[in-house]
Amino acid sequence: MSEYFRKYIKKEHYANHQYQFMNQLQLKPQIQNFFQKLHIGSIQQLLNQAFKRRLWKETDGDDWDIMWAEKEWIHEVMDHTHLQSNQKINHFRNHYELTRKDLMIKNFKRYKKNLEREGKNEEANNYNFFPLTFHLPSEYPIFFEEFKRQSNNGDTKTAWIMKPIGKSQGKGIFIFNKIQQISQWKNTLRYNQDNPQAEAYIVQKYIADPLLIGGKKFDMRIYLLCTSYQPLTLYLYRTGFARFTHHRYDNEDISNTYVHLTNVAIQKTSDNYDEKLGGKWNLQTLKLYLMTKYGQEKVAETFYNIQMLMIRSLQAVQKIIINDKHCFELYGFDILLDAQLKPWLLEVNASPSMTSNTPVDFELKCGLLDDVFTIIDLEKVLTGNEEQIGGFDLICKGNPIKLPVNSTFTTYLGAFNNRSQQLKKIAKSTAIRLAQSYQEGQTKAIEVGSKGQKEKEEKDKQMRSSSKGPQVMQNGVNGSIKTTNQSKQNTIIKRNTTNLPALGTAQNKSNIKRYPLQNAGQQSQQIQQSQNNSSKKNNPNEDSMLSANQKLQKLTQESKINQFQPYKQQSQYNDVMGMGSRNLQKNEE
Amino acid sequence: MQQLDNQEILMKLKSQKQFWDIKKKVKQGFSDQQKIGINDIQKFAQSCEIEDQLIKLISHILKKSKKRETLKEDQIEFLNTSKIKWTELLFKNLDIVHQKAKNQEEDDTNTDSKLYIYDEKNLLAFLQTFKQQQPSVLYQNVQFQSNKLLNINIPLKSSQQILDKYQYILLQEELPEEKINKIRKSIENEHLDIELEKIAQTYVPNGERCLLYLKYFEFDHQETVLQQNFAKLQKECQNQLFIDELLEIDGHEISEDTFYFVFQEQILTCLKCFIRDKSIKENIRIQLQNGMKKEHAEFQLPVAGFFPFKNISKYVAPLCYLSTKIHIIYALFKEFFCRYFCFLHAISSEYNSILSLCMQIEEIVSTRSPKLFHHLKVIGCDTLKLIIHQLIYCFVGDMDPPHILTIYDQILGHDSLEILVILCVGFLNKYKPKLLLAKNYENVQQIFQELREDKFQELVQFAYKQ
Repeated sequence: MSEYFRKYIKKEHYANHQYQFMNQLQLKPQIQNFFQKLHIGSIQQLLNQAFKRRLWKETDGDDWDIMWAEKEWIHEVMDHTHLQSNQKINHFRNHYELTRKDLMIKNFKRYKKNLEREGKNEEANNYNFFPLTFHLPSEYPIFFEEFKRQSNNGDTKTAWIMKPIGKSQGKGIFIFNKIQQISQWKNTLRYNQDNPQAEAYIVQKYIADPLLIGGKKFDMRIYLLCTSYQPLTLYLYRTGFARFTHHRYDNEDISNTYVHLTNVAIQKTSDNYDEKLGGKWNLQTLKLYLMTKYGQEKVAETFYNIQMLMIRSLQAVQKIIINDKHCFELYGFDILLDAQLKPWLLEVNASPSMTSNTPVDFELKCGLLDDVFTIIDLEKVLTGNEEQIGGFDLICKGNPIKLPVNSTFTTYLGAFNNRSQQLKKIAKSTAIRLAQSYQEGQTKAIEVGSKGQKEKEEKDKQMRSSSKGPQVMQNGVNGSIKTTNQSKQNTIIKRNTTNLPALGTAQNKSNIKRYPLQNAGQQSQQIQQSQNNSSKKNNPNEDSMLSANQKLQKLTQESKINQFQPYKQQSQYNDVMGMGSRNLQKNEE
Repeated sequence: MQQLDNQEILMKLKSQKQFWDIKKKVKQGFSDQQKIGINDIQKFAQSCEIEDQLIKLISHILKKSKKRETLKEDQIEFLNTSKIKWTELLFKNLDIVHQKAKNQEEDDTNTDSKLYIYDEKNLLAFLQTFKQQQPSVLYQNVQFQSNKLLNINIPLKSSQQILDKYQYILLQEELPEEKINKIRKSIENEHLDIELEKIAQTYVPNGERCLLYLKYFEFDHQETVLQQNFAKLQKECQNQLFIDELLEIDGHEISEDTFYFVFQEQILTCLKCFIRDKSIKENIRIQLQNGMKKEHAEFQLPVAGFFPFKNISKYVAPLCYLSTKIHIIYALFKEFFCRYFCFLHAISSEYNSILSLCMQIEEIVSTRSPKLFHHLKVIGCDTLKLIIHQLIYCFVGDMDPPHILTIYDQILGHDSLEILVILCVGFLNKYKPKLLLAKNYENVQQIFQELREDKFQELVQFAYKQ
């Protein structure tokens, strides 16, 4: 559970057990050492840190609750494994339909065609966020036709970008504008269509007029969490990055990868690379820049388009991806803005890089992972209807979620990330809700208990009344009230005595004796209090009832000030927590 | 002031878009008639307010044709001699810096990357020496006045006057969409200085700021000229100067700022061109250093007529948020420096000069917050020493770029740097409770090392808080 939640929610109010995770990631040891030296983190460190903060334990056995696995593991193992209902995995079975460059484009094209066939031309026209793409070698003839057509039209400057399908981090990518430039590639084994070893590539029309900032090209990395494809449930993280190239953009010089590729893996090898800054801007800074230059409306529109682009991307594969309640997936979208501020989707990553190159970066990604785990909600404390959880905003649940008309935002993407405040707030309201339902559960249990007791009493009564007179009967009624109260007392006692010494200490007795005429509720309070005292004495390290009460009392006051709780809930909450505050007073005495 | 003849006025008129708009309007008005007399045109012009517009336009052209001469001599004699001393001092500093750089080249282990000719503290320390030289007859017997760091008898505006001037900012509310659109339209259509100044004083919508600045500086139809000039300067940059090294070091410092690291290269290019730009000497409103030529000296003043100082890149950085075109950034920076920022480095008795601004701040703080003023004095961290960095560098690095650009708007709108006085006073008031608790200079430094966020509107509000 998130540290914010732990602070407010009582252990007994949710299904609390020691959560265990399994980490299937493997990292080369020397890289890890390298990062350790710099006091920054690899994904391994980051995950461990994120899990540690939630007090989760790593396990090698089958008793895990959450699995953080590599994509390959999913392909190999998941089909043969039976998962328990509570187990969660960080990938969908066939996520490659979205995350492999060629399949993604194929699916988008197919979905667009379907929409056109259904007569939804307007929506189909929105699928214009990916550049003209061909699969090589299979679509080489069509690509060659297109290339020739453009050359005939006198457009010899249009550049194309070749990307190997199976590689990431900018490996094997090159740009060309003459067909001869790929002849070398063509002549190798790879081109042969019938060769099973042929390495698949995609060729894309290069976006030649990217938006430049400070004369440099950049792309954006934005995080999207999908918890379900049916209904499509998407959470968008407010913070992302703009990653800059370290060299000035030059349209003519297409051979210099430092100029054209923004991948951190590529830029790290550049001489100009500045470790301290990592060549990145926070999305908020980018938004600020764009707003200053282009004005608020234009930027709001652009960011809204980015959000819609992401929703549309997932909608296109919604029916293809095998939905599984055990799975969730964090996607890293790479998006490029052109000079007209139109967003273009470059690719979607199923395992977005979680390595961090600055302490701020480390903290941010730790927060991101923490929020992912909060949304996954292993502890089952959330309602599932929360519009914001940490830095994530719910943007789609079945259908895209529209913000109110009078809202100043069109999307929260790039807005101030108020995750810690928001988590505190949500933890407080969740604590209240859980305490409330717990109380309701208790009352029901009491009612059920007292009902059973009543029935028993009545049976006894009937038996007694048959032998004794009316006076006795009256006594019997009084007696039944007494016993009802007694039974209520027992229930509460029972609840609190699960791991405490039995009642009946001299002090407890004297307490009860001292207030013989008080009603049973008060008596039970007394008992509770004395138990608290004793539990405190016996288990001084344990998170005592009192301190929890103290916290909750404080929270009541805070929530009064913040007025984040509706009045009804507030009063109910006070009813629930009033007991705690009285206890506190007595303890102080 | 040079006089324009009618022909020249007509030529200038033709270069204004508004002139052609007026002409079009007149043509439309007489589209049906075949014979048009002068009287008809006059009547029509009066009825459509065209005459007023034309008069405004001509007076605007006449005003523009007045060329401001660079201020070389000051009215107060001792400031002239001080300027010579200051220039000499800078020459000496340059020699020291050069020597240090040379040593560094030889000995790689000793790398002091922070080489500069002078910074804001040096300048303030130099200004402080004036007190001993020119004890003011007026103030010398007054006890509280002697507490001030600067006590020079120069003509000053009353501080109340400055406070009154900017009080309207307090009343500004968030504008509705319609009004913002209206302002946008007027920026697009307006050509008159006075109108553009009015807009800059009140509210400049994001996205229109670059156009407003370009129009105000009359660059809006000269993009190719700007581009050509900049290309020429860039060619000159191929000849390396020692000063370039200093600028590079300065550029590295700005790259520490998250908001500006992306622009490091552009900023450096702008500055390298700037110190090579001959036109600056003619356009700068005040001469920063005495234009003396040192014989047999290894270095001379750069072509621009002054030595670059530490953090000069801070003035360029926020302008990078206005345009992606480097020649436009350069043109804007050049105008802003020649018209306004030059005064922040000039030893002069002008209203805008650093001397006047410093004395205004001391005056306001000592009268409105005497407790703070006294406390700072006692702990050995005078008000001016505390605020000089923010004052000289226009809060660049202390506020987010949009807020800095709002300061630039105000400077342009009022053709004055007095807004900085208000902001500095506001800044001190904002941190007053913390400053009063500080026991020494280290404590004060700690306060400002903490993460803080200052905003334009907020500081203005604090300035008027009693």
